Amino acid sequence: MGKPEDALVTLNLVPGSEVYGEKRISVENDGGEKVEYRVWNPFRSKLAAAILGGVDQIHMPPGSKVLYLGAASGTTVSHVSDVVGPEGLVYAVEFSHRSGRDLINVAKKRTNIIPIIEDARHPHKYRMLVGIVDTIFADVAQPDQARIVAINAHHFLKNGGHFVISIKASCIDSTAQPEAVFASEVKKLQADKLKPQEQITLEPYERDHAVVVGVYRPPPKQQAQ
Amino acid sequence: MSNLYILYEHAAGYGVFRVREFEEIGMLLPQVEASVSDISRFNSVVKLVGFSPFKTAVAALESINAISEGILPEDLQHFLDISIPKSGKKEKSTLGVGDPKLGAAITEALRIPCTHVGAVPEIIRGIRHHFPNLVKGFTAKSSAVAQLGLGHSYSRAKVKFNVHRVDNMII
Repeated sequence: MGKPEDALVTLNLVPGSEVYGEKRISVENDGGEKVEYRVWNPFRSKLAAAILGGVDQIHMPPGSKVLYLGAASGTTVSHVSDVVGPEGLVYAVEFSHRSGRDLINVAKKRTNIIPIIEDARHPHKYRMLVGIVDTIFADVAQPDQARIVAINAHHFLKNGGHFVISIKASCIDSTAQPEAVFASEVKKLQADKLKPQEQITLEPYERDHAVVVGVYRPPPKQQAQ
Repeated sequence: MSNLYILYEHAAGYGVFRVREFEEIGMLLPQVEASVSDISRFNSVVKLVGFSPFKTAVAALESINAISEGILPEDLQHFLDISIPKSGKKEKSTLGVGDPKLGAAITEALRIPCTHVGAVPEIIRGIRHHFPNLVKGFTAKSSAVAQLGLGHSYSRAKVKFNVHRVDNMII
């Protein structure tokens, strides 16, 4: 694109507007039309770090439905909203009211984001708002994160759907080795029919972070492979 | 004989489904698990008894505020009262619900026994999966529109009534 450096970008769902002061890049596509992208900073977003770290799949194709736990102010959520596009949906759950206010404002401009200010530990509280989803993304930084993902998967994740979880070792156990923490979290996931398929660390963007990607209740034929 | 009904709460309204006859509750679970992804097979497991749409956005918000706290809203009580046949001598009706607290409230108000275990969570998963196909005149699009509207009003109300609002602004 004639830029001095490489950057991860997403196609802006709402051209002309930015969400958190990120850079926008306008280019002409093959048909001579102008299209706008937004730069996605891996130092500010664990999902972006995972993508640049070389994760194989984030399982959020255009048109897919994503349940996003730990949506915070909606910065990464806005990129997921770009990625799933106008036919997709992002159910964005955030418990903090302070971040939630920003999230609601992001969702006002992006109608594929459904803001849910509620505790991800109690999915039954927001069961009226969420349909079945293709993928769960979780960045809740809580010691019981594996359980939180499991109960949300049981409510909302389709059979054969995927999960993408960011694990911060020090949030689970600050005294243990990060590798040991990641291994024990993976075990907990497996116990709840969440089958991990891939794990990467987020170096050099984050320290002692891992992202685990896997499948929920895989269909039998896939297991045989 | 026992009839199992299922309550499903959606952003657009309440649905009551009847689970088709089955021999034993233990037999049901594997059957439901296998059918959950396939609409034609799932259709042989449940049948829509009734759907009661929310009349206004305000009514929807009042309902979700109650439901999320396990309180039985008046409109739901009325809807269940007319949708679920009273347990007689020969036939018993049980209602499957997603939240035990709401189940207890329903039992107390309407004398309908409720359950939230066994095959019930799995059937609710299936209903969630196929909901736009189970209710006539409903589409994935209209389902999302209802969720979007209610998500905004529910979340806005949560943030608005936060007593720490002023402190939060200073930080």
